[in-house]
Amino acid sequence: MTAETISGEVLSGGAALGVASPSVHDHLELLAEMGRDFASNQDLDVTLKNAVQRITEYVDAEAGALFMLSPCGLKLLCNACVGPVEITGLELAADQGIVGFCVQNDDGKIVRDVADDPNFNAAVDSETGFKTRSILCAPMSVKGERIGAIELINKRGGDGLFDNNDLYLLQALSSSAGLAVLNARMSLQLVEQERVKRELELAAEIQRSLLPPASEASFPVSGVNVPARIVSGDFYDFYPLDDGRIAFTLGDVSGKGMNAALLMAKTASLLRCLGKAIKEPGRLLTLVNTEICETATRGMFVTLVQGIYDPENGHVRLANAGHEPPLVVAPDGSFTAIEAEAPPLGIAPSLLDEDGFPETEFNLNGGRLFVFTDGVTEGYVESGEEFGIDGLKDLICSAGDGGTALVLNAVRARIGETGAPLRDDVTIVAVDDTLRANIGAPQGKAAKAAEAGATGTQGEKLMQLRVSARANRLRLIRNTVKETATFCGFVGSDVGDIVLAVDEACQNVIRHAYGSEGEGDISIELRHRVDAMIILIRDFADPVDISRIKPRDLDDVRPGGLGTHLISEVMDEVDFLPPPIDGGNLLRLVKKIKGTASDGT
Amino acid sequence: MEHKVEENGGTLVIAFSGDIDLQSSPDARKALLALVGKGAPILVDLSGVGYIDSSGVASLVECLQSSKKSGQQFLLVSVSEGALRVLQLARLDRVFKICATLDEGIAAVS
Repeated sequence: MTAETISGEVLSGGAALGVASPSVHDHLELLAEMGRDFASNQDLDVTLKNAVQRITEYVDAEAGALFMLSPCGLKLLCNACVGPVEITGLELAADQGIVGFCVQNDDGKIVRDVADDPNFNAAVDSETGFKTRSILCAPMSVKGERIGAIELINKRGGDGLFDNNDLYLLQALSSSAGLAVLNARMSLQLVEQERVKRELELAAEIQRSLLPPASEASFPVSGVNVPARIVSGDFYDFYPLDDGRIAFTLGDVSGKGMNAALLMAKTASLLRCLGKAIKEPGRLLTLVNTEICETATRGMFVTLVQGIYDPENGHVRLANAGHEPPLVVAPDGSFTAIEAEAPPLGIAPSLLDEDGFPETEFNLNGGRLFVFTDGVTEGYVESGEEFGIDGLKDLICSAGDGGTALVLNAVRARIGETGAPLRDDVTIVAVDDTLRANIGAPQGKAAKAAEAGATGTQGEKLMQLRVSARANRLRLIRNTVKETATFCGFVGSDVGDIVLAVDEACQNVIRHAYGSEGEGDISIELRHRVDAMIILIRDFADPVDISRIKPRDLDDVRPGGLGTHLISEVMDEVDFLPPPIDGGNLLRLVKKIKGTASDGT
Repeated sequence: MEHKVEENGGTLVIAFSGDIDLQSSPDARKALLALVGKGAPILVDLSGVGYIDSSGVASLVECLQSSKKSGQQFLLVSVSEGALRVLQLARLDRVFKICATLDEGIAAVS
C-alpha cells in the first residue's frame, strides 16, 4: 500500500460539504456538542481530554492524542490521550513526527501506512510495544497562530483506513479545539491584566489618601497633583501645627513606576509623622534623609521642599533638598527663586549630619509662594512647546489677584489641554499670604484672644524705652518692666518671672546681636492686652537682606543655654518675628494674666 | 551689687547684696573664685540678693565645680525668695546644697 497524503485544503471548500454522507448529520451533532462543551467548560484540560475521547470513538480509531505547541514554539507536548498506551506528557521536537509535520505546515494529513512516511517517528512504538499502522492528523490553529494538533491512530472498522470524511471532521474539531485553547489563554491574560490594573488602582487609591483633602478657600495653603500614570512619584502635603503655623511639603521621587510610588508613600508618611513634632524643616529633612539612605533602593532619590508658614505674620522657613527652586511672587508681581542649598534626599547620608539641611527664611509680605515639580515646567502646552518656568510666571501674572486656586486650576488645564498623556506627574503647592493681608483680621492664636473679648490682638502700648545695649542699662529695664507688670495686674512670682525673662532676652541682644557692648540700641515695647502682657524686644543689628535670602542657622541668632531656657520656662509664648523692614531682630514675649477668660489653665 | 567675706566657725562666708546681673556677675564670679583653694568650706549668703540672672547662676555653678575639685564644701544659705525662684526655674535647686539659715549651714559642714 502506498502512502497517500491528501491535503486538507482540498476538502475544506463547499464542495467537500456537498459530499453528503449519511453521517453528516451525526458529524454536525458531534461538532455542536463539542462546541458547547468548549464554550461552557471552565477546565480546559478536562474539555480537551473529553474532546479527544469523543472524536476517537466517533471516528472509531484505536488511539488519539492532542499535542500543544510550547510557548517558545520549540516543543510539542501531549496534553491528552486515549487508547491502550498512555503518552500524556510525551515531549517531541516541534517538527518531529507526523504531528510535527502537520503543525509546521498548518495542514491536515492522512498517512495510510506509516512505514512509507519519512516523517513517522517509530521511537514511541518501539518503546511502548504499540503497533502504529495509519495516522490521521489535523493542526489546531487560529488565524495562522499555531496551537498544536490532534492525531488519531489506526482506524478499526471498514478497510482500516482513514478517509477524507474523517480528515474533514477532524479538521473541523481541531479548529474549534484551537479556538477554545486560544480563548482560554486570552481570558487568563485578561484576568491577569485585570488583576494588575486593580492592584494599581488600589495603590493609586492609597496614594490619593496620602494627599491632604482639598483645603477650604480661606485656608492659605493648597495643592494639586495630576499623575502621568495611575500611580505617581510626586506628592504634596500640608497640615496645621499645634502652634497655629502650617507645615507644607512637596516632593518628587526619581522614576515614575511602582517603585517610585512606594518610595513616595514612605517619604510622605515619614515627613507627616515626624513633621508634627519636629518643627524645623532642616532638622526634619536630616532625619528623613538618614532613614531613606539607610533603606531606599540604590539609585533612587527624592527632591523635596519642606517648609513652615506662619499665617499670623507671613513668615516662611523652608529647606530645599535638590528641588526645583520655588517661586516667591511679591505683591508687586516680582519673582524670587529660592535655590536648593542641599542635595536630594537619599544621596548622602552623613554629608549634612553636622548642621542639618540648610534653611531659608523670608517673609511673604502679602505675596504668594509656589512650589512645583518639573512635571509642571517640562509639561507640553498646545503649541507643542514646554510650558517652562516663563510659562508658569506668565500664568501667575495673568491670574492677577485671583488667588492661588485660580493659578493651580489654570496650570492643570494648560498642561492637560493637548489631550496627550502627561510627560510627568504635575504637582504644585501654593502658599497664599494675600489672604492675611486682605482680611487683616486676627487669625490663629490672636483669634482666640479676640474671641475672649480682648480689644485688640496686640493690646495697648503702655511703655516704650530705647536704650544703649549695655549691661548697666539692664537695671533700668528691669525696674521699668517690674512696674509695668504690676500695673498690668501681675502679682507674686509672676512679676519677678517677667522681669527675669525680659532681662535675659536683653542680655542676649547685648551679648550676641552686636559685636561689642554699646554698639547699638535696644528697644523694648511693653503692651497690655486684656488677657496678657506682651513684650516686644528689638535690636538694630545688621539688617538681614531679605532679597539675598541665605540659609541661616537659627542658633546663631538665638543663643541657647540657660538664659533662653529661663525665658521659655516663664513665658507663655516666645516667638522670633520676621525681621523688621529696616533690619534687626524682633522677639515677642507673651505672659498670660492668670484668671482671664482666655487663660486655658 | 556688693559683697562681704567673713570667717565664721571655721567657714568662709561670702554675703552678696543687691542684684547679680550681667553687669555685676563678673565681679561676683571673681569674688567667689578667690575663695576656692583656701581649704575651708564656702557658704554663700544670698539673703540680700533681690535679683540674680543666668550669668549670676552660671558664676555660682562654676564656683561649685571648682570648689569640688579643691575638696571644699560649697553651700548656699538664706537664699532670698527671688534667687530661689531662679534656681528652681533652672532646675539647679537640687544641684546646690541649700540651707535655710547661716547657722544651719555652719552646722551642716562641721
